[in-house]
Amino acid sequence: MNGRSDGFLPIRDYAAIGDGRTVALVGLDGAVDWLCLPDIDSPSVFGALLDDERGGRFVLAPSAMHSSVRRYLPETNVLETTHTTATGTVRVTDALTLPHGGLTPYRELARRVEGVDGSVEMSWRVEPRFAYGSKAAVFRRHGGIPVAADGRVAVAVSAWDAGDVVADAGALGASFTTSPASSAVLALSVADQEPLVFPRRGDVERRLEGTIASWRGWAAGRSYDGPWRDVVLRSALALKLLVFAPSGAIAAAATTSLPEEIGGGRNWDYRFSWPRDAAFTLQAFLSLGCGQEASAFFSWLLHASQLTHPRLQVLYRLNGGADAEERELALRGYRGSAPVRAGNGAAHQLQLDVYGEVLSAAAMYAKVNGGLDRDHGRRIAEIADLVCDLWREPDAGIWEVRSEPSHFVQSKMMCAVALDRAVALAEAGHLPSRSVGRWQEERRAVRAFVEANGFSKTKQSYVRAVGDDEVDASLLLAVSAGYDDPKAPRLTATVDAVRRELARGPLVQRYAGEDGLEGTDGAFVACSFWLVEALALQGRVDEASALMEELIALGNDVGLYAEEIDGASGAFLGNLPQGLSHLALINAAVAIEGAAS
Amino acid sequence: MIWGALVGGLVGTVVLTTGLRAASELGLTRMDLPFLLGTAVSVDRARAKLIGYALHFVFGLVFALGYWVVFAATGVSNAWFGALLGLLHALFAGTALVSVVLPVVHPRMGTGFDAAGDAPLLEPPGFMLVNYGRQTQLAMIVAHIAYGAIVGGFASLAA
Repeated sequence: MNGRSDGFLPIRDYAAIGDGRTVALVGLDGAVDWLCLPDIDSPSVFGALLDDERGGRFVLAPSAMHSSVRRYLPETNVLETTHTTATGTVRVTDALTLPHGGLTPYRELARRVEGVDGSVEMSWRVEPRFAYGSKAAVFRRHGGIPVAADGRVAVAVSAWDAGDVVADAGALGASFTTSPASSAVLALSVADQEPLVFPRRGDVERRLEGTIASWRGWAAGRSYDGPWRDVVLRSALALKLLVFAPSGAIAAAATTSLPEEIGGGRNWDYRFSWPRDAAFTLQAFLSLGCGQEASAFFSWLLHASQLTHPRLQVLYRLNGGADAEERELALRGYRGSAPVRAGNGAAHQLQLDVYGEVLSAAAMYAKVNGGLDRDHGRRIAEIADLVCDLWREPDAGIWEVRSEPSHFVQSKMMCAVALDRAVALAEAGHLPSRSVGRWQEERRAVRAFVEANGFSKTKQSYVRAVGDDEVDASLLLAVSAGYDDPKAPRLTATVDAVRRELARGPLVQRYAGEDGLEGTDGAFVACSFWLVEALALQGRVDEASALMEELIALGNDVGLYAEEIDGASGAFLGNLPQGLSHLALINAAVAIEGAAS
Repeated sequence: MIWGALVGGLVGTVVLTTGLRAASELGLTRMDLPFLLGTAVSVDRARAKLIGYALHFVFGLVFALGYWVVFAATGVSNAWFGALLGLLHALFAGTALVSVVLPVVHPRMGTGFDAAGDAPLLEPPGFMLVNYGRQTQLAMIVAHIAYGAIVGGFASLAA
């Protein structure tokens, strides 16, 4: 297939489509190489992204050599890829359809092929591999439709004007030739714990059009009109793909184990929701007029954390469960980057910064909604009490290091932020006030600790951890979180130090020190946008805008970002699309708009 | 005895439904009787399930009356005999009722009579319901034996 090396496409060659329950990654060459069913955190059915031989995929492309360009249909998450061969041009529209009246499949991947000019021979092949590639599909005809099933999940392949279907071991497909104005449709219908619903062609095409209209309706409701509106809207749509509609949780990314280093072991499952992202998420959603999504996420967060209350786990399952046991899968890994993991062992780490983010989110939520309900207020107060008990302990920090716990300075700063928000909420009457005195006292203590032990006079910067002399990009968050006045001399100096020591061009590394893992990683996209936001909040709008322009140019052809970018090659690294990258982009744009106005 | 059979039918349907649901959770089958029944009436998924559950309980009571007729005719009513009727019930459902009759009467399920282009909306169950998972018939037999035993047991208590 075009553009593949060792059977793998570059990560930046993927675009994401989704339906609020699951996400598929579609390669520039027309292959759906990633799709978990029925939900985003279920086992993969198409997993060629992580194992080109055993993973399974749904290929749909011209048989001959071709060039391809693509875009999202404006203001939608529906992908349109145009392939051009020596003999003609063909357009493919891909979507995970949204329900639109009538009896709809549990999930549905729709692919429409339209001839544009000339004639193009198209080939397609559906090769599902259930349970992360461990089980080959066996197709049988049920009611004339090819069906493959594994336990709870079944898929059916319906094709109209798409050639004579031929089945072989574990796969089926066909070839057909397009002509100007010709149209073929392929649909992968999915059932989970129920009989399959087989669609009719008209139903699929109606749902496809309805899906386009639904996305446009959602996009039209976004209120942002500042600079880089199209880019911000694309990020909002990417985030919406990661919102798990049944619960309101937001997955950190749509994939597992796309590597932070090609061939390395820094491969993690991000199909969970991180409470840490709460403040970024609410800030971004509220800036875009997504009040409904913001409320749903905050409610989910408090619901999910009920069983571990007042402690906050680092991450929760999208259905609110606390179990995230990490295991290794028998997949080769993206370009040999093993292991491939399902589950995330960071779930039970102590990460103190989480509390600052969650209380910041509570403060934002209370501001927009005029307060917190009594039960939420009581629970937020109990979380603040816990911060008083915990802040002196070493933790794993925001980067979830797997080395020994340390006194990470950003973690302590966020404890101060947590207590600051608790005091403010109590003073506004939104929290029980019995502990306010203790919160104020501990806030003073943690700030004194940070100022005495967390700032290096030689570096002129806050440092990564007490006792070392390294800077860390997470310290940029002290500006946006309101640890101090954004223009406070120490914060200004820290922003400069991070830029000086960790930035390579527009891209910012997380840190340069030890983290208990072998290998290295790329520049962290979110950190790069945090630098933009920090500069904007410090009034350095021109610097921020210039940097923003450079970073926007580093997105892929459809405006998506992975977790990291290799500074030298520009290659994407890590999971895709990465919610935190898009959250940071949105918040950076909003900060520039705010500073400029 | 008729009231015993009806109460048994109600309790038995609860057990049967729970058993099939558990089998579905365990990945043994994709059989969903309320979904199949309800989609004959409504294309709205939520409404179909609700209606399907109601219909399922009505049918559970109707079948319990059928069991009662057999108990009355034979003069035998106990859990063992009920279990035997449950086995026959399951085999009848798998070979005729659900796999042959339901596709014919269900307005949204495919049959061999459908012409090209009239693609069915719902996956047909196939002989012994094997299309919904190879363990479907096993789950159906176990669930119906439990149903029959409960109907027989309650009928004998009320005799």
